[in-house]
Amino acid sequence: MALLEIQNLTVEFGSEDKPFRAVDTVSYHVDRGEVLGIVGESGSGKSVSSLAIMGLIDYPGRVTADRLSFDGQDLLKMSARRRRQITGKDIAMIFQDPMSSLNPCFTVEAQIMEALKVHEGGSKRQLRDRTMELLNQVGIPDAKSRMTAYPHQLSGGMSQRIVIAMAIACNPRLLVADEPTTALDVTIQAQIIDLLLKLQEDSDMALILITHDLALVSEAADRIQVMYAGQLFESAPSEGLFDKPRHPYTQALLEALPERSEGHHRLRTIPGVVPGQYDRPQGCLLAPRCRYANDRCVSEQPAITAFGGHDVRCFYPLDDQGQPTGRTA
Amino acid sequence: MLGFLLRRLGDIIPTFFGVTLLVFFLIRLIPGDPILMMAGERGVDAVRYAELQAQYGFDQPVIVQYYHYLVGVFQGDLGRSFVTKKPVFEEFMTLFPATVELSIMGILFAVIIGLPLGVIAAIKRGTIVDHTTMTISLTGYSMPIFWWALLLIMFFSTTLGWTPVSGRLSIFYYIEPVTGFMLIDTLISGEKGAFVSALRHLILPTIALGTIPMAVIARMTRSSMLEVLGEDYIRVARAKGLAPMRVIMVHALRNALIPVITVIGLQVGVLLAGAILTETIFSWPGIGKWIVEALGRRDYPTIQGGILMIAFLMMSVNLLVDLLYGVINPRIRHRR
Repeated sequence: MALLEIQNLTVEFGSEDKPFRAVDTVSYHVDRGEVLGIVGESGSGKSVSSLAIMGLIDYPGRVTADRLSFDGQDLLKMSARRRRQITGKDIAMIFQDPMSSLNPCFTVEAQIMEALKVHEGGSKRQLRDRTMELLNQVGIPDAKSRMTAYPHQLSGGMSQRIVIAMAIACNPRLLVADEPTTALDVTIQAQIIDLLLKLQEDSDMALILITHDLALVSEAADRIQVMYAGQLFESAPSEGLFDKPRHPYTQALLEALPERSEGHHRLRTIPGVVPGQYDRPQGCLLAPRCRYANDRCVSEQPAITAFGGHDVRCFYPLDDQGQPTGRTA
Repeated sequence: MLGFLLRRLGDIIPTFFGVTLLVFFLIRLIPGDPILMMAGERGVDAVRYAELQAQYGFDQPVIVQYYHYLVGVFQGDLGRSFVTKKPVFEEFMTLFPATVELSIMGILFAVIIGLPLGVIAAIKRGTIVDHTTMTISLTGYSMPIFWWALLLIMFFSTTLGWTPVSGRLSIFYYIEPVTGFMLIDTLISGEKGAFVSALRHLILPTIALGTIPMAVIARMTRSSMLEVLGEDYIRVARAKGLAPMRVIMVHALRNALIPVITVIGLQVGVLLAGAILTETIFSWPGIGKWIVEALGRRDYPTIQGGILMIAFLMMSVNLLVDLLYGVINPRIRHRR
């Protein structure tokens, strides 16, 4: 049994009769100790779907799913109180901007100890010792003096380490990292990713790595999922996805990588933008931007099918040569 | 920290000068002659008038008068009232506790009601609860005090008879002033029923005085709370699995309080500065009423001294608020 199982997760905002679907019937699973990468442009529903897993979608957002279970327990059917016992303990999350993730009014120590206290309890001394241990674990130099520091006294990289320490405080079995390095500069980015992967390996924790950095996830993840406009477009083991993308969108994304644009005068891009609430296409959501789209793509929505070892949402998945299969017109 | 304190105290000196200058010249611009006021309806003959002018120093140029006044102030002498002939400072100190008592009650009322209202409105944003609270607070804010106070008296005192109409204590009690605070003095005196009477006299003035600050605090708390609730660290706190109550009361409120404290501080200053209308309507023997009466009689030393004391209080309260920031906001604490 998978650690996290999601079936037809949908998150809607706005009015009941004219809702906006930020996440559209997404299904996936995460195994124990696995690193799952989720990539996609801004507005593709990566963050919203992970917030839904954490139970952090507020009214007026609506979360529905046929199944949203963690370790065999249905997260949507349990009481809010029971769910909070899982959130922050067994499933933890770190967010994009470390500088604003820490409460400016409390010391580092107080914020980490709070997480420990809620889920595990213990004497103040025990909590403090454990906090110290955590700070060492995430590679904070001079941990002792950092304990009583306030967030505004820390650098971005340091803050992210603290945020990570806070998230792994209760030894979660699943860590959701939502663009953990986007707000950091390049040298620090690598350090933070290394840290996350090391922690993941050491404790056999599952990791969902959400990012729009394709190079990063190709190295880090076991499996990668590509999301677009709230839908899952392609899901595959990471080497497969990069060598032989089956979805035209994945192919276009890869072509847009600067290192693959060698020999071109300009960087390649995907024309257009992700559809929003009012310009959502009737057929395949990618149709207006897809170079292979035909009439069927415009009028009909494709379902997810297995093709060449990948799960692909496309009528004409790409073959090994990168050409659409079975396309007639 | 010490440097900051000294700098702030240094700021007080020019402000102090400014206040004396403004008040001294402005009250002399108001038409009306204090000597004629003192003489009353019978008037005064020219010789006696000149004598009195010389006695009070009005025959000298205004600049010279101002100089004499300043010299007095720096020696701790605010002058004597034209009317009662008592030292202004002494009169101020006798009346001040009444104002302080009322102000404290007013601000307590404002904070105890306003803060929770603001928090609830923010949490229930966009719902009927939010709209109701904000409408009430806007109404409270827009209500002229004199009218609101009269409505309160008409309803609670006259119609329902629940509270006394005015004053600080029922005439059936005589309490020797010890602290000047009626609530404390009545308790000390041990006289039965006196404390309750003092409390009942405080209710309506407290509401009348506290309504505007209450509205200001409620609105400020709401907007500040809304801003904080949208912050990332609130989401992080929730992702830790904390109970919603803890997220709101500990993580959000602490941050949201920073601007609210400023507002509370300013309101305390405003209240201390003499709840002139409230004191006048409820015949509350405080400095607000005292200054209004002094203005009517062109009692220059009382007006000058009273306003100077108020300005001094305002500055002290502001300084106190600034010091308080550091306690709740670590970012300010460390920068000093």
